[in-house]
Amino acid sequence: MKAVAPATVVFLCAGLAPLVVRDAFLLDSLVLVLIWGSAAAAWNVAGGYAGQISLGHSAFFGIGAYAAALIVTRWELSPWLGLAVGALVATAIGLVVGYLSNRLRGPYFVLATIAFSQVLLIVGSRWRGFTAGSEGIPVPFRPGFWTLGIADKRVWVWIALALAVLAYLVQRYLDRSRRGYQLVAVREDEDAALSLGVPARWLKVAAICVSAALTAACGALWAQYIGFVDPFYVFSVDLSVKFALAAIIGGLGTALGPFLGAALITTVETYLRAQFGGLGTGLIGIYLIVYGCALIVMVRWVPHGLVGWIGEGLRRRAAPAAR
Amino acid sequence: MTALPQLIVSTLLLGGVYALIAVGLTLIFGVLRVVNFAHGEFLMLGMYLAFWAFALLHFDPYLTLVVSLPISFAVGWASYRGVMRPIVHASHNVQVFTTVGLSIALQNLALVLFTADARFVRTDYYAVVVRIAGAAFNVAQIVAFAIAVALTAGLFTFMRWSYTGKVMRATAQDRDASALMGIDTDRVYAITWAVGIACVGAAGVLLAPIYPVYPTAGLQFVLIAYVAVVLGGLGDMAGALIAALAVAAVEVVGSYTIGTAWKEVLYLLLFIGILVVRPAGLFGQRGAEALGA
Amino acid sequence: MSLLSVSGVSKRFGGIVANRGISFDVEPGELVGIIGPNGAGKSTLFEVITGFYRPDEGEVRLDGARLTGLSPDVVCRRGIARTFQKLRPFQGLTVLDNVMVGALTRTTDVRHARERARELVGKVGLAEKAEAHARTLSTGQRKRLELARGLATEPRVLLLDEVTGGVDQRTIPELVRLVRSLHAGGLTLLVIEHNMRVITAVAQRIVALHLGEVIADGPPDQVTRDRRVVEAYLGLAYVP
Repeated sequence: MKAVAPATVVFLCAGLAPLVVRDAFLLDSLVLVLIWGSAAAAWNVAGGYAGQISLGHSAFFGIGAYAAALIVTRWELSPWLGLAVGALVATAIGLVVGYLSNRLRGPYFVLATIAFSQVLLIVGSRWRGFTAGSEGIPVPFRPGFWTLGIADKRVWVWIALALAVLAYLVQRYLDRSRRGYQLVAVREDEDAALSLGVPARWLKVAAICVSAALTAACGALWAQYIGFVDPFYVFSVDLSVKFALAAIIGGLGTALGPFLGAALITTVETYLRAQFGGLGTGLIGIYLIVYGCALIVMVRWVPHGLVGWIGEGLRRRAAPAAR
Repeated sequence: MTALPQLIVSTLLLGGVYALIAVGLTLIFGVLRVVNFAHGEFLMLGMYLAFWAFALLHFDPYLTLVVSLPISFAVGWASYRGVMRPIVHASHNVQVFTTVGLSIALQNLALVLFTADARFVRTDYYAVVVRIAGAAFNVAQIVAFAIAVALTAGLFTFMRWSYTGKVMRATAQDRDASALMGIDTDRVYAITWAVGIACVGAAGVLLAPIYPVYPTAGLQFVLIAYVAVVLGGLGDMAGALIAALAVAAVEVVGSYTIGTAWKEVLYLLLFIGILVVRPAGLFGQRGAEALGA
Repeated sequence: MSLLSVSGVSKRFGGIVANRGISFDVEPGELVGIIGPNGAGKSTLFEVITGFYRPDEGEVRLDGARLTGLSPDVVCRRGIARTFQKLRPFQGLTVLDNVMVGALTRTTDVRHARERARELVGKVGLAEKAEAHARTLSTGQRKRLELARGLATEPRVLLLDEVTGGVDQRTIPELVRLVRSLHAGGLTLLVIEHNMRVITAVAQRIVALHLGEVIADGPPDQVTRDRRVVEAYLGLAYVP
């Protein structure tokens, strides 16, 4: 139960922040941190816990974003319904992807997931009749909770927080449950897990489905929050890498890690954009250089992420005291 | 069927350059057991090298090619020492993320330094057209094909006959045994990586007079190379060569029948299909995993 | 009726025949040893029995029910556990968590699985290492860990691939004692072993393989004197 305490503090602070903070920029950053953190947590379910390293998760994010945007613009229904539809579609596609990629390991799985998100990118940007093609979809602002037309960023913090807590609880379930133990065993050594009676194949599919549904929910909320869906962004490999990077920085296979990682990279990204973005459009890529280098450095030097690193530090501090 | 000769020659011309990209990728996999996700970015760097040499120094791309081989080799060597060396024996995931990180860093470095603008290498002979079997072809395409084939043949000769090539093949077969035989595997990895990068760098120089140059230009070509490499069997150089031609054929026929817009979807689906149907023949088999461990 | 029955199993890889028409039975409570020189097809046979390989011909039955064609996890739940020749503990998990994975195949209750795992970790003599990560263990300790993990799935037959291989001389007797005590507890075991002295000491019966075929099947003293077995191991020159 000890592990839950820091998370409670983190989420409580996030939930209380809107009561204290009035600054729109800070609240905006908080919403983004919570959405990216949830997406990273969703990625972590497949990548961190099940060891299914996907670099095509933007596909699910894009499906959610498009489902919400299209349901609002084409059928004038509630984006909440779009969120549910997006999650369902993502689950169904996750089922197919998970089933087809079941035997793929290591770099093969990565290649297959990248190819899959590229297919959706092309469909999203070229199927003009349905998706509006490469111009993307502006999401109209219709005031009201049911239509998610909310100008007050404080409400957005609470909506995003609800999603974040859900994503966190899914991971906590994996930390403590039978299925979680089995999933981690599959990650560590699939053949050994099979030999011990772990139904590795369907557990992997299930993990991908849950991960896909959560990622799509993030995409749906994000689209409504930002108000625009650009196929080249929502289906990009860079976005998939962002989810993975946040989870890796925070700590793969830890429940709180993805949120810490997302907070860090969102801060760095916002800072670098503010510092260099004004100097020219080319410099916008500077935070991505930092992403790339961070990825190389983290997997080599801090493989267990911030959570592992802080945990190690605490243990080291506690050890002499115990003696 | 008047289009048939055009289709066949187009396939060959495209396939030649794809092959040069693919053999470098598959060579690196065969020896280091690393899938280089940054391969496309080295191609892009080769294209920029040709562009800047042309724009600033008025170097003809085919002159740049001669210079580019040692330069790409050196860049490859340096990137091995700086980035790859510590993770050659790490888990797949660490390797994947390291090369993906390298890819993102290089791509955006190019974006920051050179902007997202598409650049063109317009040589004097840009518009010169050659007729083969009644079909018209750009002379740059034909030269690129000829040089790519020559370089690929050179690499095959090097792998088969030179001492270093034999050592590389031995290491690909069994890295532990090679180390026991006194082979400096670290050096072999560095050479392999650098040779693979030199190949793809040269391919970039060859493509610069034909295609626009921009920071993400490598992606479209390298995706094709992945398809070819997987189709041919990862690590199998002859397989990659044949597969590169096959993929070029799919692309040419695809462009002809369903249009260029959707041809990418065609080979991406082909790629996923191959991965799904034949994973065991490629990488999924236990033997390869054990060898990689 | 025999507990485990292998009948007519053949397995080819390309042109290489790893198993050719292998048949033998294991009775309840028996400890059967499998011997044979390198490349005899012992490990392939294990992979076939445990469902990792599908045989080209023949079938495997457990208590009369067909196992062939089932996936490895189902085979385990039917009651066959194994260890791996090239040891495969879950490196990043603690010893206790490793064993829990096995125990969770028989119970859905995590707390109950933990108790059961702790019991088994003690039984194989790893109690002091319960919270250590598997990657920190010695080869002998890893063998015990795999044993405990397999036992946690409550097998009816336990397949051990190389009990003493790669272990230093001093720990061999302890491992042998452990295997004997499991057998004494009523467990049925099928054991691949290179060390002839060990296998003849623990097995009630030995099946000898050579080039993928069964060349002898009987009590240890009989099999070790079998002309074909001696030939297989030492070459013709040594046969008197």
